[in-house]
Amino acid sequence: MSYSLSIWNEFKNYQWSCYRNYVHASGGLRCMGSTWSVLSPLKGFGEDVYLIGGEPHAASTAGTFPEDAREDILASERVGLGFHSCSYLKLFVGEIVRSKIAIPDRTVSDRYPKPDLIWTTHLCTQHSKWYQEVSRRLGGVPIYAIDMIGGGNADKDSKVVNYVCDQIEAGIRWLERVTGRDFSDELFIKAARNEIKVLVLWGNVCALNRHIPAPLDERRLIALFPPAMVDRTTDQAVRIYEALLEEVKYMVDNGESVVPDQRFRIAYFGLAHTYGHPEIARILREVGAEIVASIYTFGTTGNFRGFINGKWSWDPIDPAWVDGLNLSSRREAITELVKVVLGWPTWQGVRSYWAIEEMAKAMVREFKADGLLLAPCRSCETDFRNGYIAMQRIFRNEIPTIEYDTDQVDVRKMDLPGSKRKTELFVHLMESHKKRKAHKNG
Amino acid sequence: MDSDFHKIIEEFHFHIDHRHEYAKSLKRKGKLLAGYMCTHIPEEILYAGGIIPLRILSSHDSQALTRSYMHETYCSFSHDCAYEGLSQNYDYLDLIVMGTTCLHMSEAFNVWVRFGGFKERSFLILFPHIMETKQGSKFLLNSFGEFKKFLEDFKKNFISDYEIEDAIKVYNQTRRLIRKLWQFLKDNSSIIRGADLAAITLASQLMDKREFNEMLGKLIDGLKCQDKGKSLGVRLMVSGGACDDIRIFELIESLNYKVDLIFIDSCTVGRYFWFEVLEDQSDKLRVLSEGYLDRIPCPSKDNILGTGEKKRFRFIQEFIEDFRPDGIVFLYQRFCSPQPHDIVALKPILNRLGIPYIELELDTTIPINQFKNRLEAFVETIKGVELVE
Repeated sequence: MSYSLSIWNEFKNYQWSCYRNYVHASGGLRCMGSTWSVLSPLKGFGEDVYLIGGEPHAASTAGTFPEDAREDILASERVGLGFHSCSYLKLFVGEIVRSKIAIPDRTVSDRYPKPDLIWTTHLCTQHSKWYQEVSRRLGGVPIYAIDMIGGGNADKDSKVVNYVCDQIEAGIRWLERVTGRDFSDELFIKAARNEIKVLVLWGNVCALNRHIPAPLDERRLIALFPPAMVDRTTDQAVRIYEALLEEVKYMVDNGESVVPDQRFRIAYFGLAHTYGHPEIARILREVGAEIVASIYTFGTTGNFRGFINGKWSWDPIDPAWVDGLNLSSRREAITELVKVVLGWPTWQGVRSYWAIEEMAKAMVREFKADGLLLAPCRSCETDFRNGYIAMQRIFRNEIPTIEYDTDQVDVRKMDLPGSKRKTELFVHLMESHKKRKAHKNG
Repeated sequence: MDSDFHKIIEEFHFHIDHRHEYAKSLKRKGKLLAGYMCTHIPEEILYAGGIIPLRILSSHDSQALTRSYMHETYCSFSHDCAYEGLSQNYDYLDLIVMGTTCLHMSEAFNVWVRFGGFKERSFLILFPHIMETKQGSKFLLNSFGEFKKFLEDFKKNFISDYEIEDAIKVYNQTRRLIRKLWQFLKDNSSIIRGADLAAITLASQLMDKREFNEMLGKLIDGLKCQDKGKSLGVRLMVSGGACDDIRIFELIESLNYKVDLIFIDSCTVGRYFWFEVLEDQSDKLRVLSEGYLDRIPCPSKDNILGTGEKKRFRFIQEFIEDFRPDGIVFLYQRFCSPQPHDIVALKPILNRLGIPYIELELDTTIPINQFKNRLEAFVETIKGVELVE
């Protein structure tokens, strides 16, 4: 029997309240930017700081309001953004063009709430350009983008770590000037510890999926990681992820799963593609195939042991390690944050082909995958599109590997019929691979 | 004299068409050669180390080969550059060097490193993704230091300050000479075509700079002696990304209307030479890092902290003021995102200035007839040509 997560509603409510606070705030500071940024420096400016992150907001809007999402994308193309540009970006800018905002609790506001400032990152070539365009369209919102230069092992490269830390320190001074507020190291350090804790806790939750049966499927993983994206700096965020970890541990101890019938375990490399995922998941579900490991849900805001002597490990980090971190000064707190953020699996792989390949090998091995599903997003530069081609070569003789084309939130780029056919073929391949293996083993 | 300068221009074109033969001739003279794909590398350090930097350009062949290594949604320039590596067309290079840049070109570099046989002969310079920060300057200085050390280990020779200073002067001379050359078009001169200047600027990236400077010096001296008749064509400026296909520039100047290509803001032309490195300073790497960060930024790295402004726009407006174009041709690689993002923000500025524009997307090959029709229609709108029944 399928297990129902008791913590589910708390997650949903937390995410919704973050968005509501942002949209309906009558005072305080509204901050916008990529949720791939370190968020806790913003929280050094008070308890009334409300965040909206571009990627999760675009993803949830597409999921909740598919028709509006399409109109948003078209609106941004009509004002000149390229057909090939990031569809999250276009959806986000499209809302501004149409002067409306839609949030996952199904609220649609026809007054776009102007942010007080933009605090974001730059890694792929579109990341800070996204908010440059937002700032321009909203009449010049102050914007600070942090160059998260990096790639495999960047978290262990002191030159890179110091460079990012220096930018954040300067960024805090910039925030003081822009907001006219004093920065509280105490509030910041508290938020920083929470931010690191949530990332580590989420890594622990994901790592539990190495068990058979895996306690969570991709659908739950996709729904459970957005709170960590939206605002991972609060006490409440820590509390719900701690509770989630306890519940998932319980499931493992008792052999429970949200999808108990698991004949095939799949490792997945690709982003969530809003318009295709449910259909693909249905095809897989019908034959008892589940995505149990995913670079997107594990690695976008989650931390693991990572590279140890050149080999990647999806082993979790002990949450108690976070409690022992020395965050007694601003610089120490920034440094630990930067190391953690640069250590995210998705960032490790964006600019290092070897890193993404090591992660894939470790994922297939550690999560005992029967197949590897690759779903590159056509408009995402940070998705490892070339890595997927290489992975097909790497795993050719090991496990069934299939790639189909998708897009994050642009339905026009989602080849649904082709993806369905390929997914069906993938299922057949896993079936025959399993039979061959059983035959070989006598 | 007239035939002399035409001969020199032909020679520059010859260098582009026969770049591999030229490079191999350098090799026969005992020179070491380093290839690079993107201009975020300090060529001066290579040159000071006795290594000739040569830009890797595309051959505009089919991408069938690269599709097995790079996703189809990467720009054709990156595919083409990767193709050159997979086809071993540059097997004579001793090194390949790259500065962290857009993800498309970074992947082309990865293809060379992984599958082109350059794994042990490659260096990636960590170059800030945002060019306008103090922290970036310190970071780049460090990166250039690591690069210098790598070259010294590679060559087993120390690279002295004296050698770097000499290289800085040679490279600054190249930049000044190319700038002088474009001045002819700024002055509305009819003695040389914009397409030729684009070719000469591109040739500078394929040649030993000393040899290039000598040739270009002679050409400029020759041009100075010519009657500077004024051209009366429609003045078009190109703004966009990497384009090593000179045919597009020739097309602009061979429409059914008289058109003068008067400037090109791109990393293969204007952005390549429109900066200088301070000379005679004590800390050579520092002036190099400051010089390279002070350049007109690639759209992928352009973000002024605090305001989100784009520094490149200031230069574009300066070019417009100096070169006085009647229209702008936005020319960029299909699948490139930073360029169209900039164009969206540039259009209102051009509208205010009353300058019309047109967008053309580049692919592996150029659709000549389609582009010709669109460009002619564009020129007609500028000239106010009326359709006659």
